[in-house]
Amino acid sequence: MGRIQLKGVQKKFGDVEVIPPLDLTIEDGEFAVFVGPSGCGKSTLLRLIAGLEETTSGTVEINGEDVTMASPSSRGLAMVFQSYALYPHMTVRKNIAFPLRMEKMDPAEIEKRVAVAAKSLNLTDYLDRKPGQLSGGQRQRVAIGRAIVREPSAFLFDEPLSNLDAALRVGMRLEISELHKRLQNTMIYVTHDQVEAMTMADKIVVLQAGVIEQVGSPLELYNAPRNKFVGGFIGSPKMNQIEGEAATKRGCTTLGMRPEHINMSPDSGEFKGTIGVAEQLGSDTFFHVHIEGQEETVTVRQEGQVNYKYGDTIYLTPVEDRVHKFGPDGLRIA
Amino acid sequence: MANRTIPRLLQTPAVILLLFWMLIPLGMTLFFSFIRYVLNNLRNPHWTTPSIENWRGFGNYQFVWGQDSFWLAMKNSLVIVTSILFLTVILGVVIAVLINRSFPGRGIVRVLLISPFFVMPAVNAVLWINMILDPVLGLQGLAVSGINDLSAGLKDAPLIGWFFSLWPELEPISFRATQTSSIAVIMMVVWQWTPFAILIFMTSLQSEDQQQKEAAVLDGASTWSQFRFLTLPHLGRPIAIVVMIQAIFHLSLYAEIEIVSRGNGNKNLPYYIGELVNNNIGAASAAGIFAVILANIVAIFLLRMVGKTLME
Repeated sequence: MGRIQLKGVQKKFGDVEVIPPLDLTIEDGEFAVFVGPSGCGKSTLLRLIAGLEETTSGTVEINGEDVTMASPSSRGLAMVFQSYALYPHMTVRKNIAFPLRMEKMDPAEIEKRVAVAAKSLNLTDYLDRKPGQLSGGQRQRVAIGRAIVREPSAFLFDEPLSNLDAALRVGMRLEISELHKRLQNTMIYVTHDQVEAMTMADKIVVLQAGVIEQVGSPLELYNAPRNKFVGGFIGSPKMNQIEGEAATKRGCTTLGMRPEHINMSPDSGEFKGTIGVAEQLGSDTFFHVHIEGQEETVTVRQEGQVNYKYGDTIYLTPVEDRVHKFGPDGLRIA
Repeated sequence: MANRTIPRLLQTPAVILLLFWMLIPLGMTLFFSFIRYVLNNLRNPHWTTPSIENWRGFGNYQFVWGQDSFWLAMKNSLVIVTSILFLTVILGVVIAVLINRSFPGRGIVRVLLISPFFVMPAVNAVLWINMILDPVLGLQGLAVSGINDLSAGLKDAPLIGWFFSLWPELEPISFRATQTSSIAVIMMVVWQWTPFAILIFMTSLQSEDQQQKEAAVLDGASTWSQFRFLTLPHLGRPIAIVVMIQAIFHLSLYAEIEIVSRGNGNKNLPYYIGELVNNNIGAASAAGIFAVILANIVAIFLLRMVGKTLME
């Protein structure tokens, strides 16, 4: 069980309001991802839930119980830190056993639980090593192991993959998703990487400057971003947002077109432009197209290997039922 | 290989200089410890020049070994050094942890805490023994007589008088006496060297990982457990450094011993050797070799102990 509810939670550091009062509910068993640019308050929000920071006002409830004033350890949450925060003087075994030892659990039971956790994380062969002798991915798994043995009501992850290299990151991403499916536990995951958010989340919470911009499933956010910020943040490559005649013609201020929803043609179309940089990925090709009267280039995704050269003239047409229209206040027009 | 010869040649003068620097005094001490060599002897004037013909074998060692004052000095050295180490490490850790938190005036407190380290050892000893510990004129004497006067004055007071009449008259302690002078030395050196320990531990505490502590908080560790399982192991290496450096320094304490009691009752090894040097160079050298052996044993023993207990 792990239903987490924030009611009017606000956080100030001195006079600076980092998080204006916000409400949020994370259902039991849900994988929620807090995503946003650096400094948007997502880590602070996580630390408020963990109890590492005190709320300025508002209440935090876990399973309907008000824990706003409760100590971090009594909330029944486990956290995995960005730097792993393993205890460097202890072996992997002792690291994983530490929270149980602090609970004064029976040593035989501790031994059993550590063995189970180590087995599920492929750490059995490393139990007697110290963290310094492990690779980044293994350290990450030890940190997760230390969280699992406590059998917490929810897991909190604070950018756990940002210290890993790209290949490992993809692997660990899968392992964490897999873990969630197996344990069916509530998990809250903080990241600045929208790909991680899209691939792992049941529910994404997009934050900007401490304010929740939108909450929803990955596809809801992709298909119907509530405003320009969410539109630009979710999806890769970024959504193209252009203003001017093309937008007013469709009855909006800003027209959002995802790179994958633009057709390209050598002879006719709505916008005329010249090809700038082309990024060949093999499976796809991304073109950055200069359009007259637009400062920023428009990114276009073409499937497969398409051969246009730098400087070629090209015509672009958005797929009409996939465009996103935003009003003068930046909000989506239905 | 040719390309290694030149660097080695260039290093040679420095290496040779260092070798002589160490080997000549050590060699001379060893040589003197095996011969009869005194500064003044009317019956055997040939003993006053160092010469291989005055060979005495292990005679000097046997002489020193058989002296009660040598064993007393040995014991005193160990008592003084281990007490100082024990107290400075404990005080150093406690104070460093306390001032690691932020509070108003922390900068000034830190400077004040470090300042005893800048007092010269001899001055430190004179200040302590004359102005603080003196049973009549020092702070101790003033405090004791003040308390005695106070309780004497209140003995006849109504209601509370019976309580004060139970108080015995306090006697000031003379720290120049045989039994107490090493305590005085321990006190003044601890006062002077605790700042050194604080300084080293404080820098080390600042490099402690805060996320580890947060993780421990979430894992349910109490403040004591955090200190015991995170901070103390983190301080393991600095503690070993403090212990080693201080052991080296305090095995050769001299000024404090001289000033407190002129070696009366609390002679340590250097002081004992110093007294022998007044005439019997041979015996002093033998005692010096014993001191070298002791220093090595102490260093190895302490390092092992500190390393094992703290690294879990």
